[in-house]
Amino acid sequence: MADFRFDIIWDYFPLFMRGTLYTIGISVSGIILGSILGLLIGFGNMSSRWYLRLPMRGYIHFFRGTPLLLQILIVHYGVVYNVLGTTDAIVAAIVALALNAAAYTAEIYRAGIQSIDRGQSEAAKSLGMTHFQMMRYIIVPQAVKRMIPAFGNEFIVLIKDSSLVAVIAAPELMYWSRAASSQYGKIWEPYLTAAVIYLFLTYSLNKLLIYLERKM
Amino acid sequence: MDAIIQVKDLSKSFGPNVVLSDIDIEINRQEVVVVVGPSGSGKSTFLRCLNLLEMPERGEITIDGRPLLDKHTRIEEIRAEVGMVFQHFNLFPHMSVIDNIMLSPMKVRKRSPEQARKKGMELLGKVGLTDKAEAYPSSLSGGQAQRVAIARALAMEPKIMLFDEPTSALDPEMIGEVLAVMKDLAREGMTMVVVTHEMGFAREVGNRIVFMEQGRILEISSPEQLFDHPKHERTKEFLSKIL
Repeated sequence: MADFRFDIIWDYFPLFMRGTLYTIGISVSGIILGSILGLLIGFGNMSSRWYLRLPMRGYIHFFRGTPLLLQILIVHYGVVYNVLGTTDAIVAAIVALALNAAAYTAEIYRAGIQSIDRGQSEAAKSLGMTHFQMMRYIIVPQAVKRMIPAFGNEFIVLIKDSSLVAVIAAPELMYWSRAASSQYGKIWEPYLTAAVIYLFLTYSLNKLLIYLERKM
Repeated sequence: MDAIIQVKDLSKSFGPNVVLSDIDIEINRQEVVVVVGPSGSGKSTFLRCLNLLEMPERGEITIDGRPLLDKHTRIEEIRAEVGMVFQHFNLFPHMSVIDNIMLSPMKVRKRSPEQARKKGMELLGKVGLTDKAEAYPSSLSGGQAQRVAIARALAMEPKIMLFDEPTSALDPEMIGEVLAVMKDLAREGMTMVVVTHEMGFAREVGNRIVFMEQGRILEISSPEQLFDHPKHERTKEFLSKIL
């Protein structure tokens, strides 16, 4: 550690910054797309119709039961090129993280909705509301509040897991840390820098979530 | 007679447990029917079948001439005509008292906010809680919450009101205020089906008392008959324990 070279960090500073922006961009896109997809999958999974429920359940099992790294490789080399016709690693990274987050957020929706007392849905039904009205006015508004901590958690996990897309050469923070490490043959300078930046991202997000939770 | 509720051969079981078997009863307009019996006798399940919060397995239910179990019947339309009051109030905790009351008239009956609010305030006046319109349910006592729940059900202008042990979760000193509201309602001619352990209320307000045990109706009589000269040994035994 005695020969810690700040000049390496300095040389790579613009790349670290650009990588950080990509990390943020990939994570935010992943959580947003994943949450939307997760909503469909979550409600499908709660459906009383087996032909909706079973495929959604299979989806959740697959994405929660296999390694994210594997999913990233399959999506990049197998899916994105064939379906979207692009080899862009950033697109593949966002798609893979969104597909993975969808499985987890689907479970968050389910847990949130099922945590609402059955008396609430019975009262809504007894007042003549349709299933949709009951969800829209009674169940979801109460459930959303309970979902916030779990969503925050999922987002934090996603930011950290986004480092895995370095393996498909998506130019985010982890990618540039590895590049710096191999160029200079150094460990501490690039990886410690990356660690500090990841910590800054997850810590500020955590603070923001605590603030949001208190406000609601 | 002019029956608004007709129940024929209603049966239901949860797995191997038979909770209702061959229930037959007709309830007339403006009648107050009180259902009593030991816990587990199926009285709440019977009540919850009347607005299909429980699905019967067999039998027929007709509400105001409409068959409840016909697949062409839109169950929401019938539920809108049948108010229900629950043991645990089930107010919506994320809405103020007046919003609790206004929501369904606006969304289901398509009333304007002004109309819904006017009717809601009128009903709050009726249950003696005008000053609580903007309060949230968590700030209410049990008795107040249950009176709001009654006002919320009445806001839909139902033809029938179902009460599922409305005073069982209340502190003793709050039972009276809820029963008073229910008595007013009975006096105004509301058709009511009440599951309760309040025998004083049953005797005073009920036109007929239904005694249930093990999923069956053992006896349907006038209050005088049932309380003073019960036909069944089992009814006598039950009454001797709780009176």
